[in-house]
Amino acid sequence: MLSRIADSLFWLNRYMERSDCLLRVVYTNYILSFDAGNSTSFSWKDAITIFSPTAEDVINPTDDSTSAALKYLINDSKNLNAAKILLTKARENARGVQDNITKEVWEQVNQLYHLVNQSDMEKKLGGSRSLEIIEQLYQNSTLYYGVTDSTMPRGQGWNFMNLGKFIERCLMTIDTTFAHFKKIDHQLNNPQDILFWRNLLLSLSGYELYLKAYNRDQHNLNIIDHILFNKNFPRSLHYSLNRISRYLNEVVEDTKIEGSEKLHKSFGRIYSKIEFSDINMVQEISLPYFLFSLRKELVEFSNQLTRIYFSYA
Amino acid sequence: MESSHLFSQYNTYPGTWDEMYQDKAIRSKYQQVFADISHLPEEVLQQKDKQASELFMNQGITFTVYSDNAGIERIFPFDIIPRILTSAEWDHIEKGIKQRLKALNLFLKDIYTTQQIVKDKVVPAELIATCPHYTREIFGIKVPHDLYVHISGIDLIRGEDGVFYILEDNLRTPSGVSYMMENREVTKRIFPGMLTDSKVRMINNYPLLLHDILISLAPQQLSEPTVVLLTPGVFNSAYFEHSFLARQMGIPLVEGRDLVVNNHKVYMKTTAGLQQVHVIYRRIDDEFLDPLVFKPDSALGVPGLISAYRKENVAIVNAVGNGVADDKAIYAYVPNMIKYYLNEETILPNVPTYGLENMDARTYVFENIGKMVIKQTNQSGGYGMVMGDKAGEKEIDAIKKAITANPREFIAQPIIKLSTVPCFINGKLQPRHVDLRPYALCGPAGIRIVPGGLTRVALREGSLVVNSSQGGGSKDTWVVDL
Repeated sequence: MLSRIADSLFWLNRYMERSDCLLRVVYTNYILSFDAGNSTSFSWKDAITIFSPTAEDVINPTDDSTSAALKYLINDSKNLNAAKILLTKARENARGVQDNITKEVWEQVNQLYHLVNQSDMEKKLGGSRSLEIIEQLYQNSTLYYGVTDSTMPRGQGWNFMNLGKFIERCLMTIDTTFAHFKKIDHQLNNPQDILFWRNLLLSLSGYELYLKAYNRDQHNLNIIDHILFNKNFPRSLHYSLNRISRYLNEVVEDTKIEGSEKLHKSFGRIYSKIEFSDINMVQEISLPYFLFSLRKELVEFSNQLTRIYFSYA
Repeated sequence: MESSHLFSQYNTYPGTWDEMYQDKAIRSKYQQVFADISHLPEEVLQQKDKQASELFMNQGITFTVYSDNAGIERIFPFDIIPRILTSAEWDHIEKGIKQRLKALNLFLKDIYTTQQIVKDKVVPAELIATCPHYTREIFGIKVPHDLYVHISGIDLIRGEDGVFYILEDNLRTPSGVSYMMENREVTKRIFPGMLTDSKVRMINNYPLLLHDILISLAPQQLSEPTVVLLTPGVFNSAYFEHSFLARQMGIPLVEGRDLVVNNHKVYMKTTAGLQQVHVIYRRIDDEFLDPLVFKPDSALGVPGLISAYRKENVAIVNAVGNGVADDKAIYAYVPNMIKYYLNEETILPNVPTYGLENMDARTYVFENIGKMVIKQTNQSGGYGMVMGDKAGEKEIDAIKKAITANPREFIAQPIIKLSTVPCFINGKLQPRHVDLRPYALCGPAGIRIVPGGLTRVALREGSLVVNSSQGGGSKDTWVVDL
């Protein structure tokens, strides 16, 4: 497989995964914004912080203003992580590798692109049809996963696509979790009720599984366990790292080029941090530090992968 | 409103060959289509028109128009009414194109090796010497099976007398074949019954034929040679076609930066290291292929590619230097080439063409400029064209001056009213001018032409310019056995 193709497939899925996470967060927050007034205070600030941690200036004016937040998160060309920009970049990558993805996958990416770029988007997001638009985007994003899974051939391309998808998923899970725990200053012993955590769990599609899998006290610690260590939860770090490990093994075995052994080892070290640890160790190190260092190592791993397999320019 | 009404409003242009109507009667080749659509209400046709546009949009068969720094995606206009050729018309076209290509291949071999045709003064030496596309850098390079033109898109037009004329030979990197194929796919969806009713010949084996030819050109006897399609990249307006063909043939679509030349061999950079490439179907123009030989500032190509080509370690398709054979001034000599190399009479005639270096011809053209079209010999895509009947006095004066200064750069042809075909425009059927570009494939086993080709249509009323860059669209093209 051409290095350039592998690179584009990797980034196609990184952008698709990021926009999928974004759309899920937007959808969740939009629905929850109608529940304001009870014990949980709602603010769009939290959602915006996940995707634009440094965008202090946009946070204040849009605070609690749903339509302004939607426009910023979905349609603002100046926001590098707006759905519009992410899907445009995903499509650019898909366009360059059209002969390496199936017609179905290309058409799905293309459709999302046209959906998010419709001319009266800004007006629609401000009006009564905003939920319809968000749902449409979210559903089409979900469709992308189905279409990809049921039509893409397995092999090199598939492996790189999945590496992109799960690396991005790990990062998004870390960022989303971090933003929500920051609201309670990472004080794990200060118990919050489940309504407080609903936003985080729904944003990760893990609410129902959480209710089934954990008992109803100690939410703070249980939720960390759920998000970091639950093997059955497709957005947990354990699950995502397990997938990375699987696809990385296939890539390394297939290619056997210089540097791949080293890459394999650096990933092993990251994976062991989740596989051979538990909630007590996280508490010992402190949650923010644990998440922060894991994130840093993952980013470094991704760069290393890029250097070894995608250096063609 | 019933659409038979729409047909009753159809007024053919005077003095023009209409493909559907002969006087007031419908030609037999269009009767089946007429029967199939005449009972459809206008709304249904509108619906089908919309459906066709959406099919192109969703598949990303678009080009980007830039205005106010924002790219807007547009589809190439597609007209839903097919253009029909009978099998008899097609046989004639097919024979004519095969004959022409045979002669042009021999000409290219000759001109880059012994130049016998120049020595015999059939083609003037000055004409070759002044042709910007004559590529000295590749003189004497041996190409597999002596084939230079593997893929051609020769443009034909039909005059008011019903005769098919050759308008232009495109022997470098002709494009549009993906539209030929996608147009058919769209017709299958919007008029499913009509294709079987009319017994239309199929075209969808084109990529398979092309792939066979590409494999047969591999420099060594290999069971699985690596064949790639070289594209300038996603920003090229024909990028859709490049990826379409690569996908249909199952070959890698590469850019210049994916390839590297080492020790006169071409490799592509893969995740598992370097892999040798044997055949390159390039969709990059000659002058961008290799910065060491041609434009030194171009990053689209591959440094060293021509040296690998010279050593016969890689085949390049179409061959480098073909531009000398489809030059608009050389065009006038193709009938002579056919006589010279094949000793045959030309089956498909040229449009009468005046080279303007000849004083008599120039005087005649200047006197009759209202009936002439002036073309620049090194331009394509409908650019650099002056229609004598439409141009203003200033434009005429300017072009006369330019011709006098550089006669070699221009040719003149009488304006030929292209034949018309019904098009569904603004809810009515209206006649519009069309041309025809059949795609021919030459391999060691001979020449194959898929029946039909791309019909380009000038969508503006009365316009004779069919190029997509200038308001042209396209139509599905059928060859039917009557």
